[in-house]
Amino acid sequence: MSIIYVLIPVAIIIVALAIVIFFWAVKSNQFEDLDRQGYSILFDDDLPPEEKKLAEQRKKIQQDSEQQ
Amino acid sequence: MTETTCYHCGLPNDRTHHYETVILGQVRSLCCPGCQAVSQAIVDNGLEDYYQFRTEPAKKSDDAILSQLDTLAVFDEPALQEEFVFDEGKHKQIQLTLEGITCAACGWLIEKQLSKVVGIKQVAVNVQERRALVTWSPDDIKLSQILASLKRIGYNGSPFQYDEHEASYKREQKTFLKKLGLAGLMTMQVMMLMAGLYFDWFGAIEHETKQYFYWIALTLTTPVVLYSGSTFYLGAVKAISARTVNMDVPVTIAIFGTYFAGLRSTILEQGEVYFESICMFIFLLLLSRFLEHRSRHRASQISANMTQYIPVSATQLSADGKVHQCLAKQLSVGDIVLIKAGETIPIDGTVIEGNASVDESMLTGEFEPIHKFTDSHVYGGTINQDGVLTVRVTQTLKHALVNQIVRLQASAMASKPKVAQLADNFSRYFVAAVLLISLTTYSYWYAVGSDQAFWITISVLVATCPCALGLATPSALTCAMAKLNKQGVLLKRADALEQLTYINTICLDKTGTLTEGKFTISKRWIATGVDETEVIKLATALESRSEHPIAKAFDGEVAFSVEAFAVSPGNGITGRINNTEFTMGTASFCGYPALDHIPFNANVFLCAGDALIAAFLVSDSLRKDAADTLNLLKKNDLIVLSGDTQSNVDALTANLPVSIAQGGLSPAGKYERVKQLQADGRRVLMMGDGINDAPVLASADVAVAVGNATDVARTAADVILLGDSLLSVPLLMNVAQRVKVKIRQNIAWSIGYNLIILPFAVSGLLSPWMAVVGMSLSSIIVVTNSTRLLR
Repeated sequence: MSIIYVLIPVAIIIVALAIVIFFWAVKSNQFEDLDRQGYSILFDDDLPPEEKKLAEQRKKIQQDSEQQ
Repeated sequence: MTETTCYHCGLPNDRTHHYETVILGQVRSLCCPGCQAVSQAIVDNGLEDYYQFRTEPAKKSDDAILSQLDTLAVFDEPALQEEFVFDEGKHKQIQLTLEGITCAACGWLIEKQLSKVVGIKQVAVNVQERRALVTWSPDDIKLSQILASLKRIGYNGSPFQYDEHEASYKREQKTFLKKLGLAGLMTMQVMMLMAGLYFDWFGAIEHETKQYFYWIALTLTTPVVLYSGSTFYLGAVKAISARTVNMDVPVTIAIFGTYFAGLRSTILEQGEVYFESICMFIFLLLLSRFLEHRSRHRASQISANMTQYIPVSATQLSADGKVHQCLAKQLSVGDIVLIKAGETIPIDGTVIEGNASVDESMLTGEFEPIHKFTDSHVYGGTINQDGVLTVRVTQTLKHALVNQIVRLQASAMASKPKVAQLADNFSRYFVAAVLLISLTTYSYWYAVGSDQAFWITISVLVATCPCALGLATPSALTCAMAKLNKQGVLLKRADALEQLTYINTICLDKTGTLTEGKFTISKRWIATGVDETEVIKLATALESRSEHPIAKAFDGEVAFSVEAFAVSPGNGITGRINNTEFTMGTASFCGYPALDHIPFNANVFLCAGDALIAAFLVSDSLRKDAADTLNLLKKNDLIVLSGDTQSNVDALTANLPVSIAQGGLSPAGKYERVKQLQADGRRVLMMGDGINDAPVLASADVAVAVGNATDVARTAADVILLGDSLLSVPLLMNVAQRVKVKIRQNIAWSIGYNLIILPFAVSGLLSPWMAVVGMSLSSIIVVTNSTRLLR
């Protein structure tokens, strides 16, 4: 059981780290607007141009198959 | 392909005109040139994805959107910018409130659009608050250009500043989040360790390991007690220094008592330890405080958005006959300003030359324009509809009529009847009782000689902690606000819901509140032998060239072209169609035609040459749902207070269930009337929309600003109806009733629980951890009960 003498302090360090990150997130306004960021992933705007083209083609194929 | 509703804003399409844009590979129908321009701009900028992912239709774009772009230049004035633009080294930064945000996709659209503009360094849009923080480099781009590019995609941005109240709220909110996060994370850790010890039923854990666990738990609990709990200690200290007690006092005693006892047991290696109970206790209490804080202050943010800074520019005519642009606030008494047709009059003054009709609806609530000529007084904020006026300034902007009304509103706000803080009073006695009971319990068990005296007392303090009681009101209010928000009713003050249930008198403004606030043709008379549709077409063609509000009543397709068109301000219009001279306007303008055969009191006449061919009664009509709404609200006293003439008010309210209808009231008059009603012991709900209603709205017990209300009225109101329907008001009253019932249930439950648990705690049957679990369960029940309001 002596392993807990190592594991628990390690866990505490991780929690401390999590708290530091959480405080930083609050400070940098990350909790200001909870509605918006969830949508960011839907937009393909972070793709390079070639991939965006591919994504659009896929969308089109999908739409076509839905219509049929 | 023609759809019946606009693809951009979802409103019905115009049947006679077609506006189209290719969006997402298909031709889409749009309702107006504004929506077309905006959607085209969105497509051209490669932002079509917006249409794919938005969850709400956009706001209808202003038709005049593109013509308004040049008026933005005034925002580049350095004197104006110094008030709300911050210098960040080489860059400048501004907070904008954004009108027109409907869903999260709008935030994306704005960020994308602005980040493409050269010179803009950073854009952060907050969808919940409808605001954006923009940083730009002034060498590359001007502020007006930023606002213009926002406008092109259909959003109105205006600069604003946080008011002090809101800034402090933001700071508090962040502190709360930090404290709550810390307490939450630590509670989990401590709980994990302690759960291990709880389940040590066979005593298999060595004493050494146990001590190790205690020390770890102590280390983890300390920041929670010192940082997260500080909210309560500060509250307690404040209360005691004011020689009173509040809920924070027993909370503080319980936390410190348990913490130091735990510390002592850990150091002396004997006795009991309840670190996990402290953490959970602090976490749950903080959670309820946080909820309360949010529900009470959501409002401040909404009202701050309302008080947008709208600068007014003026065209000043200097002594040497030159004209130049300046800000209205720079004008001094005696300066001469020039006001062209369609411009807002910047300041109070006397006309020295010219004549025009002026729309004073923002001040008086009556939209029928007033004819101004030499020596008439004009007021800042009103709109010159036709003609050119030269005006001598008689009051500086600070003393202008509109600012006087705003000041009257501010003083009315200060004298508003205060909500009796019943819950606060109650909790004081409650707390005093708790402290007394705890003390008695401790003395008794100490006298009996029990070694558990201390822990029993802690149990009493925790078990009676009014945590659920604290949640009873805020949780119900938050849920009701969310529910109303979905229905298009915005609450600026959560406690307005409590007051709504006491309302017994409802006062209403007439123009714009009970009525549509615009002219429609209510009656028409056509001379015999004249084709009716032909006459309407003629009238529409003539009126399509006029800017007068009456002209808007003649809405439809323009079938003729008008030549030699002329406006005579305050009288009417003339024009030639197919070589016939037409005159349209007042009776005197049309040469007093014989009126005996017209069965109603017409106010607009149409003559072909000298012959009268048609007469119209153009008036403001009642809103469609006004009668239904008033019938639903009939159990209250209904009183109409209007600035319009008594005869107009009487005519309109004749068929409505209204007990008193009073006309001819000035803004101060309305305010006095409501004060008088309040002095008679009535609780008054006021509904209004204009600037002239602002003081009376501010003084009423609960004020409702109806759809399309002016910003000043919205600032003064407690409740804002976002939709156009008046039926939201009965709904609001209904929800308020339900909230009252819910709050009573919650309070009954939480007090009942505290009373039931008290004997167990006092008799020592309840250990502190059971008290904490019981308290949490009781809180959860209260919150769950409140969420039923959402349905």
